[in-house]
Amino acid sequence: MAPSYKLTYFDGRGLAETSRFLFKYGGIEFEDVRIKKEEWPQWKEKFAFGQVPVLEHEGKQVGQSIAIARYLAKKVKLAGNDDWENLEIDAIVDTINDLRLKLVPIFYEQDEAKKKALIEVVSKESFPYYLPRLETVVKKNNGHFALGRLTWADFYFATISPVFDFFTGSDTLADYPTLKAAREKVNEIPAIKKWIETRPKTDF
Amino acid sequence: MMEGACIKRTRKSINIFNTTEEMAPAYKLTYFPVEALAEPIRFLFSYGGIEFEDFRFDRENWPQMKPNMPFGQVPVLEHNGKVAHQSIAMARYAAKKAKLVGNDEWEDLEIDAIVDTVNDLRQKIALYHYEADAAVKESRKEPLFKETLPYYLQRLDAVVKANNGHLALGKLTWADLYFVAILKYLNSMCGGNDILADYPNLTALKNTVLELPAIKTWVEKRPNTDM
Repeated sequence: MAPSYKLTYFDGRGLAETSRFLFKYGGIEFEDVRIKKEEWPQWKEKFAFGQVPVLEHEGKQVGQSIAIARYLAKKVKLAGNDDWENLEIDAIVDTINDLRLKLVPIFYEQDEAKKKALIEVVSKESFPYYLPRLETVVKKNNGHFALGRLTWADFYFATISPVFDFFTGSDTLADYPTLKAAREKVNEIPAIKKWIETRPKTDF
Repeated sequence: MMEGACIKRTRKSINIFNTTEEMAPAYKLTYFPVEALAEPIRFLFSYGGIEFEDFRFDRENWPQMKPNMPFGQVPVLEHNGKVAHQSIAMARYAAKKAKLVGNDEWEDLEIDAIVDTVNDLRQKIALYHYEADAAVKESRKEPLFKETLPYYLQRLDAVVKANNGHLALGKLTWADLYFVAILKYLNSMCGGNDILADYPNLTALKNTVLELPAIKTWVEKRPNTDM
């Protein structure tokens, strides 16, 4: 039988990897559809807002990477136990995403000199603002990003922080051992470790 | 003073200290003195009949307050001695309390996805509005108004048409209140015009939400601000 879930994204880890981790963690089968760059123009118009990742299930299609991750987290029991706990998880996920959004202009900048200038601003302002504060959160939460225990916020950071490296060309967490350890903790989960070993090797 | 010999006793209990004792609301929402990103939370608490303290600080106090805020941002929500942040996360929480969420996890995913899409549009508008460099800002104007806004608004209008006048699930959800609550902010960032002028289904949705009794009451009583 075909898996009941289909996840469509570019051929890379990027913003879909959080969901792939969650599927693997929960042992939920999914069809991992990857669109090659040259094929994207034909695919784009099939999606309501022209974006991926998109999750399909029982004939329905939905976009937005964080919304999809939140849905899967509930399925694999990595969400909170009540509304306030889920608010705490949601808030730290959105904060990590805010940091990612500060880096996005780097990706789209074609001019090398301007690109370098953008990377410098991020390195001098955004990272020193967000990363120490995220470290404080993790220290207060027993090595996790929320609720003092493993939640999908940990998975979100583990899969989005490598995107920072991709944008800047540097090891973002080099000076942040607590954050690196939090990421490693996720990567060492047996189902995740196995996925990392067997997943397609891609540039991003 | 007294018009007759009788003192009328009403059913209300007699308050001998002549004071009114009120419990502070369980929720305190802190934000700038504007609608913008706190307004969805205000709409949702109002819709749910949930009392909240709507604290709006003076802008000149912000520099001292900022270091004490989680990640230096507002709005924040205080409840039971805890402080939460991130406007959409808090709106989702308020929506659960106000019972404007889905009936299952997939329904909640559909609502979340359209809210995030509306937020994507907000971010793209903000990238134009808040740009400090005048030349860069001017270069972003035409792509925003000729491409980005029509791209999103046409598709959102189509979603509302296909969903019985709503943004998700064919019925009223917090996605509808979220969208309408930030409209004044979006319009002000776009230079003050009504960005929904050419979009009849979105305009009808705006009216639907504004006509909800609890929202109508809130809009009439809230401070009047430009954004």
